[in-house]
Amino acid sequence: MYYQLINFGNEEFHAYPNKSLYWKRLNTLIVSDLHIGKSISYAKNKQFLPPYDTKEILNKIFVSLDKIKPSNLIVVGDLLHDVFSTLSIKDQDYKNLSQYMKNTDFIWIKGNHDKNIQIEGIKNFTNYKIEKFLFTHIPIETSLFQICGHYHPKVKISHRGKTIFKTCFVHNEKIFILPSFGILTGGLDIHSKQISDVLGKNNLSIYPVGQDKVYKL
Amino acid sequence: MNINKSNPLLLHPLNKWMKKKKWSWFPHQIETFHYVRTGSDVVVFAPTGAGKTLTGFINPIDDLIKLTKFKGLHTLYISPLKSLANDIVRNLEKPIKELDLNISFQVRTGDTTPYKKQKQKQKPPNILITTPESLALLNSYENAKEFFHNLKYIIIDEIHTFLDNKRADLLSLNIERLQTFSPNLQRIGLSATLKNKQDAKKWLCRKKPKIVSYENSVLPKIKILESKERIPWSGHMATYSINEIYKEIMKSKLTIIFVNTRAQAEYMFKNLWLINKKKLKIAVHHGSLEKNLRLKVENNLSKGLVDCVVATSSLELGLDYGDVEKIIQVGATKGINRLLQRVGRSNHNLNTPSKAILVPTNRFEFIEAKAAIEEIKKNNLDKIDLKEGSFDVVAQHIFATACAGQFNINDLYKEIIKAYPYKKLKLNDFKQLINLIQDGGYILKNYDQFKRIFQLKENKNIYKLVNKRETRKYRMNVGTIIENPMLKIKLGTKTLGNIEEVFIQNLSQGDSFIFAGQVLEFQSMKNNLVQVKRSKSLISKIPSYSGGRMPLSTNLANSVRALLAKSNMWDLYPEQITEWLKRQKYISKIPKKDEYLVEQFPRKKNFYTVIYTFAGWHANQTLGFLLLRGFKEFNYKPLGFVANDYAIVLWSLKEVKEIKTILNLGLLDKHLDNYLEETSIVKRLFRDNAIISCLIERRLPGMEKTGKQVLFSSDLIYTVLKKNEPDHILLKSSYEDAKKNMIDYDRLREILKKIDKKIILKKLTSISPLAVPIILEINRENLSKKETDEYILEDLENEILKEANVLSIN
Repeated sequence: MYYQLINFGNEEFHAYPNKSLYWKRLNTLIVSDLHIGKSISYAKNKQFLPPYDTKEILNKIFVSLDKIKPSNLIVVGDLLHDVFSTLSIKDQDYKNLSQYMKNTDFIWIKGNHDKNIQIEGIKNFTNYKIEKFLFTHIPIETSLFQICGHYHPKVKISHRGKTIFKTCFVHNEKIFILPSFGILTGGLDIHSKQISDVLGKNNLSIYPVGQDKVYKL
Repeated sequence: MNINKSNPLLLHPLNKWMKKKKWSWFPHQIETFHYVRTGSDVVVFAPTGAGKTLTGFINPIDDLIKLTKFKGLHTLYISPLKSLANDIVRNLEKPIKELDLNISFQVRTGDTTPYKKQKQKQKPPNILITTPESLALLNSYENAKEFFHNLKYIIIDEIHTFLDNKRADLLSLNIERLQTFSPNLQRIGLSATLKNKQDAKKWLCRKKPKIVSYENSVLPKIKILESKERIPWSGHMATYSINEIYKEIMKSKLTIIFVNTRAQAEYMFKNLWLINKKKLKIAVHHGSLEKNLRLKVENNLSKGLVDCVVATSSLELGLDYGDVEKIIQVGATKGINRLLQRVGRSNHNLNTPSKAILVPTNRFEFIEAKAAIEEIKKNNLDKIDLKEGSFDVVAQHIFATACAGQFNINDLYKEIIKAYPYKKLKLNDFKQLINLIQDGGYILKNYDQFKRIFQLKENKNIYKLVNKRETRKYRMNVGTIIENPMLKIKLGTKTLGNIEEVFIQNLSQGDSFIFAGQVLEFQSMKNNLVQVKRSKSLISKIPSYSGGRMPLSTNLANSVRALLAKSNMWDLYPEQITEWLKRQKYISKIPKKDEYLVEQFPRKKNFYTVIYTFAGWHANQTLGFLLLRGFKEFNYKPLGFVANDYAIVLWSLKEVKEIKTILNLGLLDKHLDNYLEETSIVKRLFRDNAIISCLIERRLPGMEKTGKQVLFSSDLIYTVLKKNEPDHILLKSSYEDAKKNMIDYDRLREILKKIDKKIILKKLTSISPLAVPIILEINRENLSKKETDEYILEDLENEILKEANVLSIN
């Protein structure tokens, strides 16, 4: 798989087009905002989205785990969409999960969507510190470098009279925001107020995600 | 028929009023009265000004006066536009008030207040004037059956606008519902004159079907603007003739200038004001303007307070603006019917001809305008092709039915297949649509506990809505017209209208654009409101509005071909056109009526192939893509193509040697799926399908703020569904829609079936005169917006003209 090399906090990370981030030195894979079970949680309001998102997201994760065989998998929040989400995970997928957990340590950081939900056998944290990096769903006041999610960043690109929106990885000097790993999840403009309040407007490094490649702006 | 010598209408309650007005009954009114009275469903074809509206009401009024004890709803009148519905009320009011008849009538549209709607439900009027969407809503109420059980007549106005689209599908289903409620219901259709009258009859009539037709013997006077300027090779803005158009406006009391797009309307309006030395009152009218602004223009128009209105199809239907003296049509209408409809907006008097001037914006359009005038002289109208009904509309109808109460699916199916567009609806597809409404209808049964409708345990054929809350969702989503995401434009606190989100996304702060005839500067976008201020900038963009591209009608295309081939006519054309065609004949060839000319020539290191199909933009666009694929297979290394209504041009690195082998029916069968895939046509239609079938909720202006509405990118849903369940009914539905509407599948198929024997291949050393317009389009399309300054175009044009050796023609 092609990846884009990103330097953040004097460490090298690999950004993959499947919207995951890999920290090679510690053999750690990082993903964010999977929103597993988004479709089923909308079905309770009679919005019947195709119920295939859970299966697709899990398969995407499993493929990555097979290829990379990381020691750690960190989910920086919103693994699940809401309390209904676990209904959409089939027994077989639970079994697969526990198989993978034999070789990979799962670190589940709680997000605003899944803070009150438990999955048996998966450890969860409000945030998680490794060396000078803090993994957290929403950035907090700290002197550490932070790697987080929550915002589903997208970037607006205007070129030759055409405008496109692309999911992206984005960071400033201290804060790194991952794109959403989910299937039916939307996004937020990195220049929107919510993201600007966190990252500021200038000196952003932006990495739009293409079909098979992560670009650098 | 033999009309009785004693006209039965002389005994009609309205006869007194007619006499007072010194009007006499039209033959078609007498005929309609007779047929309806003897139990027929009737479609009446008559031109504007021939008392069409009154014709529909003759039988209802007669009945209502005779049945003095009748209480409740007697007649339903369906109008295609809200504004037209209000107009009908005004027209109906006159005789009923003046004769003091004891008949109640009201209007019910999206603009009617909830209070009034409630009162109407409690105490219905005798005559209700409404729209297809409001009818669908009425049918979704629990008491719909009581409300309609005495209904005697349904009148469909402007039925020709209801024959070939999803709105027609929705209406047809609701008419059948009314017929179930009230089996004695009779149907009356009112239509502008049509070529295939039988089809309209088939669509509407069930009981002893009859056609009543009245043709106007006074032909409209239509001519082409005589311009001293040269007609451009390509382009659509008619800038060349602006001074002459202005002179024409000055000559008449009241003129409507029709253009084809909202962008053209803004542009024409701006250009007219730039030269408006006489301070004429010129206004602009199009569908994106705020309702109040539109109403103001309409009012001024009917009172004769303006000199000229620049309008799009927004002013095409219905409303009677008696004082309009002249119509100027800028650009080709692409069809005879539309041209006639527009021309008919002037001079609503049957005995004097309507007057119109056509302004072609480029050379092909000149030929097209000529052809249109010829066809109108021959009264040769376009055919409106009936289409099989769309699935998504059935899904919406199922939802509506469930809102009205529990229902038996077998009864519903039987009712639906009585509607003409759904005669061939398969039971299996219908059941999938039931499932779609129930829980999305996916193979993976994840949603069992969340169904919207469910089967009763005691009878599996009966379905019921899970809870009342769902009815609200249906009512928010009713209808088949899906607009692109629009944003409101605010100047200070005043709303000017709606603009497409896509256009605004392309603007940066400080950019200026033209809207509602004003130059505006984009300031900010907050909560989906676009704040603007007035600007003095001279450089401004024109908002584009996607969609709505009308393809050249087959009828008119044939006429254009025939006219081109008639070289004895050429001398009657402006010199530049004559020279253009003569030179074409000399350098290459003018194709005969049934021939397909293919020209090939080298140009700037590439190899060009131009195919003149006259098949309309949709079909040509499709064919262009298919040929691109075909050329790739033969390793000609194609680089691109451009299509317009008349032709396709492809350019490639290598010479295309086997065009006759490639250009045939096999091409369509082989590459069509690929085309639909790659151009995301189906994806776009999927969005409409998902909204119409109520799978996802409609995005309504102003609702985003409340946060209650869940918005989904239909593209994401499409991608997931396509990957996991490619046979899902909504994908099938979108695919069928694409074939019907977007790619002119049938037309292309017809052409490709016979094309190989009729190709005339011309190998040239350079570009031909006929090819110049489409070659110019290549350069236009490939330029970025900022580069399209006029001088660049001018430059390009000269370069190409030199190449074609046709500079002398100017």
